[in-house]
Amino acid sequence: MTITTNRAGAFRVAFALIVALSLSVVLAQTSSAQGNSVVSGIVVGVQTDESGNLIQFALSDSSGQVTTFKLSAATKYGLENQAGDRWVSTQGEDASEAARRLRDHRERFAPITVSFENGIASSVVEREEGKLETNLGYLFTVFAITWALFFTYVLYMGRKQRVLQYEIAKLKGIIG
Amino acid sequence: MTNKILNLFDPILIFSAALMGVALYMIFIWAPTETNQGAVQRILYFHVPIAWGAMLGIFVVSGSSIMYLWKKEEKWDRLAVASAEVGVVFGGLMLLTGMIWARPVWSVWWTGEAKLTTALILFFIYVAYLMFRAYFPPGAQRQRLAAIIGVIGAVDTPIIYFAANLWAQAHPPIITGPVADSDSALGSDLGTVLLVATVAFSFLFVYLVQSRYKIRKSEDDLVELKRASSASVMTGAG
Repeated sequence: MTITTNRAGAFRVAFALIVALSLSVVLAQTSSAQGNSVVSGIVVGVQTDESGNLIQFALSDSSGQVTTFKLSAATKYGLENQAGDRWVSTQGEDASEAARRLRDHRERFAPITVSFENGIASSVVEREEGKLETNLGYLFTVFAITWALFFTYVLYMGRKQRVLQYEIAKLKGIIG
Repeated sequence: MTNKILNLFDPILIFSAALMGVALYMIFIWAPTETNQGAVQRILYFHVPIAWGAMLGIFVVSGSSIMYLWKKEEKWDRLAVASAEVGVVFGGLMLLTGMIWARPVWSVWWTGEAKLTTALILFFIYVAYLMFRAYFPPGAQRQRLAAIIGVIGAVDTPIIYFAANLWAQAHPPIITGPVADSDSALGSDLGTVLLVATVAFSFLFVYLVQSRYKIRKSEDDLVELKRASSASVMTGAG
């Protein structure tokens, strides 16, 4: 009896976690990217030629949409390393350093902001302002899941309590 | 006997609810919006206190398990079970809230970096502890082996706490506690919100463990009553 109750409890906890995770996925995916000429996000891909010069790179924005950017000789860079030292240059001046810097950003999950026109990046800089207005859904999801899971757990304990009360009263009646 | 297990007028619950109200006001209205991450940074005020609850849980499991192995008293075993079950709820929420924060900030739900991996291991330790208790035949041997799992499981906690600084990967560095880096520590406003939220969630943790402990006690009482009932039937039959 105890084993069965414990198993059922473990399954309920696992079920609640799965439901909560699914909810988070569904709600979070409703956020949409803004279709303007400036986008912020994380570097997810860097392509270079045989000499190690940057050819193009891919960026994933806050809604998960991946965009690939081509470059021109005039593309400007303003990127910081982990220590905060800023490197300023252009694609025409040092394309291999640009590749190295973007790979470093990819490894550190450091966000950048890209200004672009017709798919060609005009500037690639540290994300200077990341208000992420479209991401309130994530905050709401965390809030909803947290309280839903706590309430589910309290309800689970309440139900367990009622079953125990019933069985104890029944047995006391038999014995007494 | 059992009708006061989930007491809605429990002083701990009332205090926790009041403090939670203050924390929610501070999280959503009082605290300034962080310039880099925007609104999603407020997830931190849920994630960190919940992670604290998850780690507190394994400490209680470990401490109670040591006391059980030493004293052999049932109350310590009950406290370990209660704390493990509440800990799995906090541990699951710690992972979920962290994943939801990571999606807009890192653009991934999950990455195999040190802090995340050790936190996932903590969740699995909780689950393993509860599964072991659910499937192993009841008795002193089960309680003894579960206590050993509980003690070993606590080894993961300091690794989680120091992981961000030890491996310096994607997870933000330690922002609270004795080894917090002063450059990365929270400002006074954000630190105050985090402190209030942590105290509120700590009291919620205590209330849930206390309630689960009482239910566990009732379960043990029920087993005793069943034994007594069987004995009286046998005596009657004899």
